[in-house]
Amino acid sequence: MSELGNLSIALAALVSAYGLVAALLGAGLRRADLQHSARNAVYAVFLLLSVASGILLYQALTRDFGNAYVASYSSRDLGFWYTVSVWWAGQAGSLLFWAWLLAGFGAVVVWRQAGYRELMPYIIATVMGVSVFFTLLLAVVSSPFARLAFAPPDGQGLNPLLQNPGMFFHPPTQYLGYVGFTIPFAFAIAAMATKRLDDEWIRATRRWTLASWFFLTLGVLFGMQWAYVELGWGGYWAWDPVENASLLPWLTGTAFLHSVMIQEKRDMLKVWNLVLIVLTFGLVIFGTFLTRSGVLSSVHSFALSSMGPLFFAFIAVILIVSFTLLALRLPWLKSAGDLDSLVSRESSFLFNNLILVGAAFSVFLGTIFPMISEAVRGVKISVGAPFFNQVNVPIGLALLLVMGLCPLLAWRKASLANLSRNFLFPGALGLLTAVGLIVAGLRQPVAVTAFALSAFVTATILLDFHRGAMVRRGHGEPYPLALGRLVLRNRRRYGGYVVHLGVILLFAGMAGSAFSSQQEAVLRPGQTVTINQYTLRYEGISQYPTQSAMVTAATLTVFNGREPIAVMNPQRNIHRGHEEQPMTEVAIRSTMMEDLYVILAGIGEDGTANFKVIVNPLMMWMWIGGVLMSLGTVVAFWPERREALRARARYLVGAEA
Amino acid sequence: MSRGKKKFAIAIAVFVLASAYLAYSGARGSMAYYLTVGELLDRAPAITGSSVRLNGKVLPGVDWDQVSGRLAFTVTDGSRQIPVAYRGVVPDAFKPGAEVVVEGTYDGKTFTATRLFAKCPSKFEAKPGGV
Repeated sequence: MSELGNLSIALAALVSAYGLVAALLGAGLRRADLQHSARNAVYAVFLLLSVASGILLYQALTRDFGNAYVASYSSRDLGFWYTVSVWWAGQAGSLLFWAWLLAGFGAVVVWRQAGYRELMPYIIATVMGVSVFFTLLLAVVSSPFARLAFAPPDGQGLNPLLQNPGMFFHPPTQYLGYVGFTIPFAFAIAAMATKRLDDEWIRATRRWTLASWFFLTLGVLFGMQWAYVELGWGGYWAWDPVENASLLPWLTGTAFLHSVMIQEKRDMLKVWNLVLIVLTFGLVIFGTFLTRSGVLSSVHSFALSSMGPLFFAFIAVILIVSFTLLALRLPWLKSAGDLDSLVSRESSFLFNNLILVGAAFSVFLGTIFPMISEAVRGVKISVGAPFFNQVNVPIGLALLLVMGLCPLLAWRKASLANLSRNFLFPGALGLLTAVGLIVAGLRQPVAVTAFALSAFVTATILLDFHRGAMVRRGHGEPYPLALGRLVLRNRRRYGGYVVHLGVILLFAGMAGSAFSSQQEAVLRPGQTVTINQYTLRYEGISQYPTQSAMVTAATLTVFNGREPIAVMNPQRNIHRGHEEQPMTEVAIRSTMMEDLYVILAGIGEDGTANFKVIVNPLMMWMWIGGVLMSLGTVVAFWPERREALRARARYLVGAEA
Repeated sequence: MSRGKKKFAIAIAVFVLASAYLAYSGARGSMAYYLTVGELLDRAPAITGSSVRLNGKVLPGVDWDQVSGRLAFTVTDGSRQIPVAYRGVVPDAFKPGAEVVVEGTYDGKTFTATRLFAKCPSKFEAKPGGV
């Protein structure tokens, strides 16, 4: 079986290389047969990698511990679904997952977007070029089919930290998002290669971009949620290099998502859009590398990781090829439109972009700071969370402000009338919120600003919904119907606004973290600890076995004043096969106002227990914000009906005239 | 350069300078040496008292008082070692053999850690060990 797996991967690498060459030759020599053959190569690579993936899953499910990878990441007592997750649990498997997704997406493009005849050979060449890199890694450096000399009776098992539903949400969505951005990148390369530099490539990949952004957003959010419930330190973001790796392409991808609209509407920022998608893809590869190697969190240099130099060489190739091509095409990339005024829709997009790219740059700088300082001063110096927060909190606030301003500013140049009409009411609401919060006793300036801005932006968005619905009502539709149709007929615009509302909730939730409080307590049964309005009484410890673990659970009764409101059971579990690594299972009681988060940090022989109790305000808002962001993206993604498209085409023609 | 463009250039320059200033002051406030056990020992007298992130592997023989949360262990880079004292929540991935990063100061004898991150060698590294 393993031989067949190795063979599939080796063939996939060869066919990818063939597809790359055939596509380029086919385009250069205008040979339809070669182009056709290159298309088939994409299907073949997808088939071969599907076979390899199937074999890996089969070996995992049949407990073939002669396979070194299967033996390192699974064991006999691992349930069906966690055994399936072995596919992306380790380095070799997740590289295979990456390559398989890429080939799958490539196949979808070749199949569904065959109409882009001119672009297609270069799209295929790009996808196959990336595929060559990953399949070569799989074939030469990190094989999922390496055999052990002696098959052990049982595998080492999946790390209990990963035995959490998050394992099915976070890594797959993260990878779907990462890999998805390859497609807009491939279209961009193709557009440059063919000099078809109008917004064709952007329109063709709008939904790829949106879908990739959707999954990347979910990936980051699921990662935060997973860290929050599983890692047991009470937070969701630590500016760890691996977390930063997932955020970086999201930041530039978000910038890209916005700036392409300017090219579509005003024929501007053409070079910038190409730069952004190249950077995003470069950061995707960088992120994949960081996630897989964990290299930056160790003090050892890249050279010690066998994949480091390869990934760096690959990123260098991507950047050199892309930017050389871009430089050659500069004469064809003149903007038709021009920026007219600082106060206009276009310039607010520009500032949105500056802010997002600035954030990405600061996060990137902070992440690789140890390497820079070693190169410059010969000693590794790292920067911690305060650096990232100090830079990104003001950047986040600025982003929030622009988000409120942008949708209501007029194109080209906003007049004073336009400003006062759109911003008087939201601005007043924002100020009122700030004053109200300060009167209520809130003293953190950052949080007060964040809440005031949130109120301001929410008001601008709701005002826009309301105005649109009123216009429709003027044509005789009842208000709720008008509101519904407004959204359905302008999915991109109002889907985007729903995403913005989600972002506001997310930011408000983050601002809530400024008011979190914590308390540590060593308690004997019957003793209590008090935090804010809560009193927690420690009742005692119970122990019981489950299928895979020995559970030690503390029971705490939670009182709000004198009234008991909940019973919480933080646990420390010993999983079979991982006796040296007890798993902390925190207990969380969530309400709209705040989360009560209890960690059982340790237990003494006599039942004395060490607790850490944290109150995190507004955590629920973050998750609801995440749900809204996803919903809004789905609305924006949903295909518009034919008639709506035609109506829009008529409208656009009318508007241009 | 037209007047409009000039305004944009100024606005962008202000933004970039403000961010650079924030980055600079943020970096100054949170910079710490990022060292292996051997590097720390070699530089020991010079950086006594400054904040350090120390990376190493946990040796067997961990003394953990669960009730008080006090944890004493030794980290190594394979050849040399440093004893570490820590108090707080211990991340799940912490165990002998695990790769850890501790933040704190070194007084020439013991590394006093205020934060402890652990990761599992050769396992999925996508998550930090927590504080």
